[in-house]
Amino acid sequence: MRHQFLYLAAWLLLSALLSVLVNSASNAAWLNSIVFAVPMSLVYAFAVGFSSYYLCRAYPISHQRNRSLLMLLGSAAIISGVSWAVLCTAYNVALHGVEQSWAGIDLAPNLRMTIAVLGGILYVLAATAHYLLAEFTRAGLAERQQLEAKLMAQEAQLRMLRTQIDPHFLFNSLNSISALTTVNPSSAREMTLLLADFFRSSLKVDEQRKISLAEEMALIQQFLAIEKIRFGTRLHIEQEIDEAALPHLLPPMILQPLVENAIKHGIAHLLEGGVLRMRILRSASQLHIVIENDVDADSLPNMANSKAAKSGIGLENVRQRLHTTYGHTAALHCQRHATSFRAELYLPLQSNTPEME
Amino acid sequence: MRVLIVDDEELARSVVREYLRAHADVEILAECANGYQAVKAITEMEPDLVFLDIQMPKLTGFEVAELAGAKTRYIFCTAFDEYALKAFEIHAIDYLLKPFSAQRFAQALQHARSSLGQAQDIPALLQQTMKSDAPLARVLIRDGSKVHIIASEKIDFIEAQDDYVQVHSEGKSYLKNQRLSELENQLDGSQFLRIHRSYLLNLERLARIETASKDSHHAILQNGQRLPVSRSGYQKLKSMA
Repeated sequence: MRHQFLYLAAWLLLSALLSVLVNSASNAAWLNSIVFAVPMSLVYAFAVGFSSYYLCRAYPISHQRNRSLLMLLGSAAIISGVSWAVLCTAYNVALHGVEQSWAGIDLAPNLRMTIAVLGGILYVLAATAHYLLAEFTRAGLAERQQLEAKLMAQEAQLRMLRTQIDPHFLFNSLNSISALTTVNPSSAREMTLLLADFFRSSLKVDEQRKISLAEEMALIQQFLAIEKIRFGTRLHIEQEIDEAALPHLLPPMILQPLVENAIKHGIAHLLEGGVLRMRILRSASQLHIVIENDVDADSLPNMANSKAAKSGIGLENVRQRLHTTYGHTAALHCQRHATSFRAELYLPLQSNTPEME
Repeated sequence: MRVLIVDDEELARSVVREYLRAHADVEILAECANGYQAVKAITEMEPDLVFLDIQMPKLTGFEVAELAGAKTRYIFCTAFDEYALKAFEIHAIDYLLKPFSAQRFAQALQHARSSLGQAQDIPALLQQTMKSDAPLARVLIRDGSKVHIIASEKIDFIEAQDDYVQVHSEGKSYLKNQRLSELENQLDGSQFLRIHRSYLLNLERLARIETASKDSHHAILQNGQRLPVSRSGYQKLKSMA
């Protein structure tokens, strides 16, 4: 609607200009010029508007056919310019037929020519405007679709991140259970239960709802208990957890990936195994969580292998989730030293008070 | 049949051990918990068959197979590895997906038994499975039953010697059974340049280029070593400068 209105306004302006042109070119009186120019402009406005609109719909801009498009546009412009001049002449004859002092002008061949040329130019301008408009609409639409797709992908990714359990972890654990069934049936059962509990807790997790640190730690203990069975003496765990920190809230499964990384990319690569250290402190305004693990000194942090790249993605995911939940009030710092890797997490304190639920 | 079990997880080894008890003709030579032990055991004991875990510390199962050679038959074991599975199918290589049943295990064993002694194209397998990965970050070299791991950036240059290459790094040199052109393809092309038919140079070690005569040039390394530069090598160096 707005576009049509603008279009009409532009043509009204043009009709005024045409009146001026006619007035100065033919020495006709102002009234005669206006009576001649305004209706002709408006008629042409409609004709050109529709014609160029259909032209631009029927022949959208493409990279292959631009030359033929230009030729088409040129001939359409010439035809409509000439037609307009003919129409103007006929109209002027009709005006003279009315035999009134305000009707009719002296339409010299020069002026007729000017009108034809002007008509052609106006046609090209109108078509250009249509093409531009079509392009803008298309670009805007594409941009919106792209944005929507991005949003959806992000959501899907979040969902996936949360529920995604490393298949290595699952199948290796099942393999351990398979081994234990004959060697140590009660251990096999214990590991089955641990695995079931771990999966149940991770499925229950709801991205929108924060859980207490105590709940997150329970999940991690299940995970570590399973890994301890797999890795045996290669996995040493040291924990130092401030009791006062336990009731505070955090996004679910935010520490678990860090612990998983520490084992998968750190301790699993050490021939003799290593130590996983977890330290959680509560200060006046923050939770401070440190997860540190031994790493293979020979595995370079910038090593361009897929494993390092994957762990980078894991950390990036945690960082992204922190950012969407806390903005700039939370932070994750990672540091690789020669024989250790350290992830430090700072979260604002949030406690589970009934008012907040 | 003499076999070796290689897996970094004790429980995973115990499954194989248990399943093997049903096969009376199989003798377990040893069990290895990592790739170093495995390479050493394979070269020293020359087993007929190796059950080889893929994900292990320091050396993966593939790297062990590449280093220890194709004389031995391998059954690869993995919990989950999309790339590897594709390569296994293509090269008809025996594998077991953890956890596996006694039946599936017996099948794989039977298949390996019937094809004992047939060489497997382990390097091709490696290429297949590593295809997704970036250029080689380290070069593995076996020296008897010992394994050297050399980070690519620590290599000064590599010299071709017939079917072998001599890898020079930090004042030492190591002989590796591989063609220079193959190694050239695997290493990072922006860091390593073939300056001569017989020399692949780490560009970070290059100090300057000297003109010896009208058409012959020498590359001078930071440690003072001097390598010949061929005409096409000189063109390549010039186009990079």
